Amino acid sequence: MIKLESAHIEEVRGIRKLDIDFQKGTFVISGPNGSGKSGVIDAIEFALTGQIGRLAGRGTRGLSVAEHGPHVDKIKFPDASFVELRVFLPDIGKSATITRKVSSPKKIKIAPATEDIKAALAEITDHPEITLSRREILRFILVEPTKRSEEIQTILKLDEIGETRSALNAAQNKLQNARVNATAQEQSSLSTLQLHLQITALNAADLLEAINARRKILELEVIADLTPDTKLDAGLLAAGNATEFNRKSALRDLTALSDAATGFPDLGRKQADAILTDLEKLEADPALLAALQRRSFIEKGIELVDGPACPLCDTLWEDEQHLRDHLKAKLTKSEEARKIQQALLNNGAAISQEIIRVTGLLALVQKLASIQGDAAFAALLISWKASLDTLKTKLATVDGLTGLKTRLTGGWLETPAAFTKSLKTLTENIQAKPDQTATLDAQTFLTTAQLRLDDYKEAVRKSKSAEVAWTCAKAVYDAYCTVLEHELNALYEAVQQDFSTFYRAINEDDENKFTAKLTPSEGKLDFDVNFYERGLFPPGAYHSEGHQDSMGVCLYLALMKRLFGDQFTIALLDDVVMSVDSGHRYEFCKLLKTHFPHTQFIITTHDRLWAAQLKAAGLVTAKTSLAFHGWTIDTGPLVESNQEIWGEIESALEKGNVEAAAAALRHHLEFVSHLLADQLGANVQFRADGNYELGDLLPSVLARMKDIYGKAAAAAQSWGIDKDKQLATTAKESLSAAAGASNVEQWAVNKAVHYNAWANFGKKDFAPVAAAFRALLGCFRCQGCESWIYVTPRVTPESLRCGCNTVNFNLKAKPK
Amino acid sequence: MATLQEQIAESFLANLSESKTIDAEKIDQLRTLLATSKKPKPEDFVKIFTLPAGGDLK
Repeated sequence: MIKLESAHIEEVRGIRKLDIDFQKGTFVISGPNGSGKSGVIDAIEFALTGQIGRLAGRGTRGLSVAEHGPHVDKIKFPDASFVELRVFLPDIGKSATITRKVSSPKKIKIAPATEDIKAALAEITDHPEITLSRREILRFILVEPTKRSEEIQTILKLDEIGETRSALNAAQNKLQNARVNATAQEQSSLSTLQLHLQITALNAADLLEAINARRKILELEVIADLTPDTKLDAGLLAAGNATEFNRKSALRDLTALSDAATGFPDLGRKQADAILTDLEKLEADPALLAALQRRSFIEKGIELVDGPACPLCDTLWEDEQHLRDHLKAKLTKSEEARKIQQALLNNGAAISQEIIRVTGLLALVQKLASIQGDAAFAALLISWKASLDTLKTKLATVDGLTGLKTRLTGGWLETPAAFTKSLKTLTENIQAKPDQTATLDAQTFLTTAQLRLDDYKEAVRKSKSAEVAWTCAKAVYDAYCTVLEHELNALYEAVQQDFSTFYRAINEDDENKFTAKLTPSEGKLDFDVNFYERGLFPPGAYHSEGHQDSMGVCLYLALMKRLFGDQFTIALLDDVVMSVDSGHRYEFCKLLKTHFPHTQFIITTHDRLWAAQLKAAGLVTAKTSLAFHGWTIDTGPLVESNQEIWGEIESALEKGNVEAAAAALRHHLEFVSHLLADQLGANVQFRADGNYELGDLLPSVLARMKDIYGKAAAAAQSWGIDKDKQLATTAKESLSAAAGASNVEQWAVNKAVHYNAWANFGKKDFAPVAAAFRALLGCFRCQGCESWIYVTPRVTPESLRCGCNTVNFNLKAKPK
Repeated sequence: MATLQEQIAESFLANLSESKTIDAEKIDQLRTLLATSKKPKPEDFVKIFTLPAGGDLK
């Protein structure tokens, strides 16, 4: 996998031109809704995979990368829309530049294009799931079990495994059908051989007894043992007396067919009726019939899928997987149709076996008719046999069966009108022939016996081959299913454990005994979570929406960990962190830092406070943060040139624009006060409207900070740590001095003094004010990592820290 | 790191080898098929399972 070093984005989605330095680390992009944050995620995803998740999937019909990937003003010039990423490949320790244009999303330009770099980049192309957007997170949580199973199987690429299992199952079914037909053929050949030999069971002793009786008449050597090379008519061919017609045997064949014909009207009646019942059911329910026809159609289509173009209608899909998922979803919906399909095919197969038995008898008599010069009857039997073979083919498919209603109603054998009479005539003609001499009877008996034994041997060979092949296919399919079930159970168990661990890490204050259970079953994945130790329930049963969102993020992280393992080096979280409720944000940051230390998260959020908290928690720094303060169609995202505002203020003052400098300062003070009041747990007077003024916040923050430093000094003294006591005392003194210099308390509480009044100030009046506030705010941040300091835990603070732990004051005094 | 598919294929082939219900040649052919094709077709498997032809009437 990869890590991002930098990005250059031009004319993609809402972005005109933007450069970002990711520094291979976790990065946060903040800004109000509609400021272009998700456009950055789209651009990165596009560069890496050639796809944009927001333009694919549910509810995106009519959207495409080609048409909607470029900036709206560049729709007709997609060549101008491109993304260039500088990426680092940890596995091989190399960096590379990749460029992808919207005009040709499948093509990627790689520099340097060495084989190892190309191989590493090819891997990520296959993993669009590195992107998670807020709207997607609930797809794992609040969906029906079948859908969840699909979603999770897709994200874990289990669908490919499912396809292998399906192919093995289809192979097994095909070979089972072949085996059944081969067995029927073997039985048919056995019957004709036994009929000829006039033995009830085929064994070497009885066979040789029948054969040797004739060989003795012909004074041929008696056959003592039946071996694979034994020729029953050995010695006969050399004498040149071979003939295929044996009168007695012929009459037995004719009798066998005649006897069988008496049962023709009821042959396979039960199965034919069952097929007719199912066909009538389909006729009465056009929707069911349509589902069944569609099912056959789609099954055929899935077999033919070999790319993003639908083989059925030529529609071009986002990629092959989307097309396959679409077709599979249609198959899943037609469960009742599937049951009817199976019943139809089973009954069709039963009739096919009868056909094999009948055609075996017809073949014997057809040969007799030919030998006897009855060309018309021979032709009739050939034609009938061909018709039955065609019927057998139709019985093997649903499409074929649906066209057989008339034939199945009226007697599927369709015995030719002339059959009975012709059979009778042929029988009479053969009966009328004089008895063959004992010698001729023996000769023809041996010749026919050898022919039928050869046929039987071949049928047995084929049957055994079919049996071996089916046994092999079944063993392989069973083995695959066993391993698959075992591995999936292990996988789901690992995922549920990781998920529970992650969720507990975020909600350790109130759900520290949280557990979850993923239960896979046929085509489903049930998901239950523990609700305050009252039992396991579906996530939507009792947990709040905020908790459900958190579950979505945790399950995603658990799946990613399982899918990529050590290779989980990047994830694009588009407004996903908003799903974590405000009381658990630091815990979420801690989760990412401790459980995914080697993963680069590219995070977007519309909550500027959240972005600051990510910094305070040490997940990102000022250098790995970017803020958009707006967006226009002509400029794209408006980047805050200096988040620390001081450069902006200085610049405004240099231009003599005190009003702008004052506005910027006020805005920044409001933001930081809000943030610090939250992070330090300041005692702010509650307002139901949440509309806190600067004057409500900053004095409370100052008071709280002084109080905390006081507690830190007291705690250090109780433990006898003079150095920490001195540090805390000095910090408190510095804070007091800075507060005094800014005169902040007087200024902030006096609503009459606000930035509009500063507009009347000159540059020299305002510059010292700005400098004083800068010094004051400097007391609230680490000089090393530049993060805002915070207390932890939030409810009853035990320490004061920064993101890098350079600031780390213990607040808990030694027990007395 | 082996993918899940690769893990499953490896375990599956190892199980087949241990059970000895399938001859080694077929297992090798299955290994090759699963390694070279992400989406093997039923016919690919049928071809493996039907070779070599079995059956020998004594």
